[in-house]
Formats: sequence, C-alpha cells, structure tokens
Amino acid sequence: MPTETHIQRAFEDLQAVFGNRVTISPMHRMAYSRDWSPRHRSAQDLPDLVVIPHTTDEVVQLVQVALRYSLPVVPFAGGTGMGGGVAAWRGGIMVETKGLNQILELDLQNLSVTVGAGITVWTLNEHLARHNLWFPHQPESKRACTIGACIGCDNDSTFGIRYGKILENLTNLVLVTGRGEAVRLGHRKASFTSTGYKLMELVVGSEGTLGIVTEATLRVFPLPQTRQVRGYLFRSLNEGAKALERLLAAGLAIDSAHMNDRERLHFYTHSYREKYHREPEVPDWAEAILFISWAGDPDVVEFSMDKTTRILTEEYGAEMVREQEMVDGWWDSKHRLEFIPFKQKWPDSQRVKKFGAADLGLPIGRLDEAYARFREIAAKWHQDILGMTVYNEAPNKATASISFAVFVDDSTEESIRNFYEYVREMSAMAVEMEGTMSSYIGDGDRLGGFNALEHGPSLEYMKQVKALFDPAGIMNPGKKFDTRWLR
Amino acid sequence: MNPLQALEPYIDDIYTCNRTRCGFCREECPVYRVEGYETYSCRGKMLVARGLLEGTLQPDEEMARMADECLLCGYCAARCALHNVEIITALREALAEAGFQAPKHRANADQILTEGYLFPRTSAIRREGTTPLYLGCLYQSKPAEVKTILSVLEKAGFDPLIADEVCCGYVVEATGDAEGFARAQERFRQVYAPYADQEILTLCPTCTITLRDKYGLRVKPAIVAVAERIGDLRLEPVAMTATYHDPCHLGRMLGVFEEPREIIRALGVHLVEMEHNRTFSTCCGGGGGVTAVNPKLSAEIAKNRVRDALAVGAETIITVCPTCTPTLLRGAGRLANEVDKFVDVLDLWQLLDKALAR
Repeated sequence: MPTETHIQRAFEDLQAVFGNRVTISPMHRMAYSRDWSPRHRSAQDLPDLVVIPHTTDEVVQLVQVALRYSLPVVPFAGGTGMGGGVAAWRGGIMVETKGLNQILELDLQNLSVTVGAGITVWTLNEHLARHNLWFPHQPESKRACTIGACIGCDNDSTFGIRYGKILENLTNLVLVTGRGEAVRLGHRKASFTSTGYKLMELVVGSEGTLGIVTEATLRVFPLPQTRQVRGYLFRSLNEGAKALERLLAAGLAIDSAHMNDRERLHFYTHSYREKYHREPEVPDWAEAILFISWAGDPDVVEFSMDKTTRILTEEYGAEMVREQEMVDGWWDSKHRLEFIPFKQKWPDSQRVKKFGAADLGLPIGRLDEAYARFREIAAKWHQDILGMTVYNEAPNKATASISFAVFVDDSTEESIRNFYEYVREMSAMAVEMEGTMSSYIGDGDRLGGFNALEHGPSLEYMKQVKALFDPAGIMNPGKKFDTRWLR
Repeated sequence: MNPLQALEPYIDDIYTCNRTRCGFCREECPVYRVEGYETYSCRGKMLVARGLLEGTLQPDEEMARMADECLLCGYCAARCALHNVEIITALREALAEAGFQAPKHRANADQILTEGYLFPRTSAIRREGTTPLYLGCLYQSKPAEVKTILSVLEKAGFDPLIADEVCCGYVVEATGDAEGFARAQERFRQVYAPYADQEILTLCPTCTITLRDKYGLRVKPAIVAVAERIGDLRLEPVAMTATYHDPCHLGRMLGVFEEPREIIRALGVHLVEMEHNRTFSTCCGGGGGVTAVNPKLSAEIAKNRVRDALAVGAETIITVCPTCTPTLLRGAGRLANEVDKFVDVLDLWQLLDKALAR
C-alpha cells in the first residue's frame, strides 16, 4: 500500500496541476469506495486521492505523478460494474474520468463521432438523436456507463445481434499508458486495418490495467424509422437458440434478441405487477421466453415480425406472448430504462438482497445442460436463484453470453464468500463446457489468477503485454492477475 | 440528541442505494454537473451517509458544505423510489445537530423564527378580498411584482384576499433545523388559522408544497387558476420563440406542467422544449438555499440551464417562480459574457399582464 508520505507528496504535486480537482478528503474518497459488485453491505475500498482530469494531457501528468511515487492508478467511470473493476483495494489515485466528457468531432459525412471517453452512452445518444443518428452499443447501465467504461469492461449491448459490442463500432482511441505516455491506437475512421498489430483491440476489456482511455472514435448509425418488440414462449432454452439461428438465416431485420428462463422474467416484470397487481401469464409448459426486436422501415419491420411469428409457431411450436404490455414492460426495463428503481425494478434484488451473477460465455448448444448445472451449483452454495438471461452479442449469429443470476445476502461475510464460491464453480464449469468464465463483466477483482484455468500458458503472454504497457505495475493493480475472492 | 438520529429512519434506503449504484440520479444532477465529484450526486451522498452511520466518517465543515450545496430539487427523487430528498434533508439536520451548519443558514432560520419572515420588507402587503392568496416571504418583499400579479388576477376575475402572513418555514426545515421548523409551523397555524378550511391561491411553488404537505392545506397555484380561465381572456399575441423552464416545486413536486404551457401557447408564443423538461427538468440553481451559501455555484448551475435553452434555439426563457426568474436571469447575464448571446428570462405573470393590457 502507498505510504502516507508518498500520498501527501503526490497530492501536493497534483494540486499544482488540478487545483480543487484533486482531493484527499475522506468524504470524497468514500464516494468512490464501491461499485455494483456483491460485497458485504459495509464494505468499502477507499482510494487515497481522487482527481478529475479534463484533458488527455492532464491524465498524462497524473500518471507521471503516480509513477514518481509508485501509486496505483484506478480509472472510475459509471461505477456500475459488477466485478469490482474499480475497487481501489490497493489504494492509490482514483481517476474520475467523467470530466473527459466532450464531443470532440461529429463527422456526419463519415458517420463517425470522436468523444472524450467520459461521456455517458446516454448523453452521447441524446446528442446524436438531434442529428437522427445513434450509437448502438447499449449496455443496460447506459445512463451511468461511459464510452471509456464500455471499452475498458467490454460490457454487454442490447443490440449486439445486429451491431456487435463496442469493438465492432470502435475505430480509434487514445490511451495514456502506465508509462505516462499518450498513444493513439486503431485505424482512425476506417472500420478495419490489416496493418500492424491490433493494439486497440487489446485495450478492449483491459479494465484499466494497461492505461486510461481518454478519447474514442466511434462509428454511428442512422436511427431506424421504427422498432417493434415481441415475446415468444419455448419449451426449452436450446429450442429457443436453434430457432433464433433459423430466424437469422431467414434474413430478417432483427436488432435484439434475449432469452430468459421463467424465473428471470420475474426480475424484468415488476412494472407489470405494479400496474396490474398480478403475475404476467406464462403457461406451465414454457421454460424459455425469447424477446425479439426488429428495426428499420415500417414495412420491413412488419414483414419481419410476421415472418418471425410464422417460423417460430409453425416450425418450432412456439407461442407468441399474448400480453403485449408484459413485453413492453420488459422493453422499458431493458432498453428504454423507463422505470423507477426499487419500485418497478429491483424491489427484491436490491432492496432485500443483492443482484449477483456469473456471466459465462458458452457454446450455443449447451444451454439446457448449463441451466440444470446452474441450479445444482447455486443450491450447493446456498444461493437463491434469480434466473438466467441469454444475451446475443455478436452480429448475425446466436451467441450465448449468459447471466446466471442469484440473490446475494450481503449481510454477512460468509454469505458473500458463498456467492464467490458459486462464481468459482460456475466459472470452472464454463471452461469444462468449452466456454469462457466471463462474457460481459470482466475479470475485475474476481477471476484474476483463477483464470489460468481458462488461459493456461497464454496467461504468461498476457502478463508480458501488461508489462509492456505498464512496466511499473501501477495501472489498476489487483485486477486480471489477482483475485480477492476465488481460491 | 444523537446527531445521527435524523438519518436512522432511512437506513434501509441508504444501504439499498449503496449496494446498487445504478447511477440514474447522477448525470443530470445540476450540482454534480458543475462540481464533478460523485460526492455531489445523490448516490455519492448516500455513501457518505453510510460512512456517518457506521462511524467511518466524522461530521465536519467540508461535509456540511457538501450537504448545503444540494438544491433539494428532487431530480434524483424523480429517478428513484428511495427517499432521496428526505435523506439529504436528514443529512443536513444530522450535521447541524453535530454543530456544522452554515452561518448563513443559521442566520436565515433565526431571522424567520424571530421576525416571522425571511426577506426585508418595507411593509406587509395586504388586500381586502374574497379568495385567500398567500404571497410568501419572497413576494412579500417584491411589491412591484405583486402589483403585476394582482393586475392579472383582477383582469381574470379574481378578488384576492391577502391577509396577515408569516413564513411557511420551509427554509428552516430544509437547512437542518427540525425543532425550529416545529416552532415556525405553530406560529404559521396560529396566524393563518382563519383560512385553513378554504382553498388558498398561492404564488411561490415552494410555499405551495409546504402548505400542502406540511400543513395539509387546500392550495391551488394561482397560475393554474388563471389557466382555467385562459379561454375567456382577450390576449394580444406575443411574437417570440421561447422555452418554458419548469420550476422544481411547481412541476416535479406539484405536477403542474401543462397549465403554464397552455397559457404560453394561448399568448401565441412559439414554444420549444429543452431536452430536460417536465418531470425531468433540471433546477435553475436557486433551490435548497444554495444561493445563500455558494452564489458562484448557483450561478454556474443557472448558466448550464440557460445553455440548455440555447441548445434548442430559444431566445427567451419563460418561467413562473420568484426564485427561478432572478436566478436564471443572473445566469443568462453571466453566460452572455462567455458566448456573446443573451437569453432573456421573463416571468409568465409579467408576460400575461402585458398581453392583457393591450
């Protein structure tokens, strides 16, 4: 941990650059003491300082100060991560990146926008909408989540099945490395490159361990004229995944697809219950609910919707959800975010207990098997099941980025440990099933070290990459290669 | 008294926010927008509140300054089912109880408790009439504005009765003096007792919500009463492109969104909406006593709100609140020095009076 002398000296040096945009006040440090990860209710990881840079040059200066005094540097963005990515458990400088929130260039001719990495996905889209454009990488945390966080965490996107995740739509970025240098990575406004090594891609999902992203150039898209959303009931999760692949092969205008098990539906339908004081109708035989949205010109959407319904009902024995209001409520919860927290969403998963998830990526044909084992492993570690959602995160193919969610009791250290034992066993299962331990949360302070089970000898190469960008090991230490939770 | 007692009823809410971190409250919080530290957003304050409750943080002047720089505008509460405004008010109370209250807030509360009103006045404004009209401290100190409002009300066929008044006490409670507020309430009830059973027309949105929620009185914003008769009035059209700023208490908290807009449209104004309007409108910078403790912050917030108007091409901001109008006007003046464009700020009463006078 940093010494008091180093902290004080770093503070004085930073004050010369940042004035009142740097603080060592316990109150401000407390406000940066946790994210959305399952932790004991009284847990706190206090950074030693908090600083708010407004420019890339200021980030360079603060990293140089950190190098001078061997202080950890932890970038903080939306604070909505579920893997402890911003937990400053080794102290150091917390970098409040949301001060880097400028729109630097909107290039309408090339459908490209360059932004400070601290702008939120929501604010960027408000701005783009004035030009009839949008940026389709949209995590559920988009009200708070920044573009820098999307890059750093490689998080999920509602519209992944058509537009992919952040990497599909990122063409350039500026990274301040652990060497205290700003480097421009990527291919400017071109969508791809065959030259050099793909260093920009390395930064996606690097969780601040290589450096701090300060600027990003993104591909943007014309807003679709219209969008419709419907839900379909299936007898199994595997059937739903197969049917989705068939719909994609048919060439329909699908722009999102999410499949929930019965229990997870409950999580998304509080607003329905709030309004009607009853459970949405789901027949007993239905084990999976596939929500699909189509976007584009009205006639194309209308046709796609009709064709989807014909394929799913005639070829797969699926049934369309009759209560469209339930579907609309789900969409409000998922995309439009038109709900009141703790009333129309999370009254049970956050107020009473806490939402926690293992976020495995699996081959698409093993969903039912994974579902059965999820139930066994959750029961073994005394976790109440919240449910399972299958996200589709790559363009034009069914994928299985899965949230296996449970209710976490955060009132005792033991129950928190049990949750992480559950994550450990689920993560091992993912590797055994030829998948990956994490598909949208990242390693954070959970999987580092334990992920050797997945990466094998390549983990050593990853450490070399880390050393190249961050030879002093100051950039978000305790992440990716260390775990506080899994043994 | 245990200084933290005020926070104890909200422990569940505080832990719920701490474990969630959704951040719905953060991005548009006008204070966070200027200050930049998470601490100034509601979710940041909720972590600070937990630190106090668990003893990992101790009350101090810096913390009191942070709490005093909340506008109590309720934006965070509109985004969340937790008791955000009540918790921040309780935080102020806890800090005041621990001995950390801004001298300016203490002086304002003492002024109200001693004199019965907040702002200096030459003499109390009164009017004989039939319909009770409660002016509140701000309007009692603005006779010219009251003259304009009375002119509109009279032309709309009202016969307002302005009786003896004392302060509703909002400022006393909002700045952390719960015990003083109880005394202010007692005095208000004594003085305003003759009208307790009648419908009372009101002008200041903050007084209105206090009279309704803290005293259980039947209140109606006078602007709503005028909107109900707007079709019967002969109005000269006003040619301008303007936006309407929803005062926090009138809009978000009392639910009065459409009536002022109906009047504005009836005046022939081309109305454009700012990005954040109605329930999710953002504060002018004058709420929560912030102007008293940090006028610079208040002005920066006002400038941001004027920027919102500029972004949608409005040349004028119309509003209907004795706090919002001067606060936005201050912001517009200061912003004009930076962007070389002045956005005028007009009170709806003023506009109405001119349209009715022609």
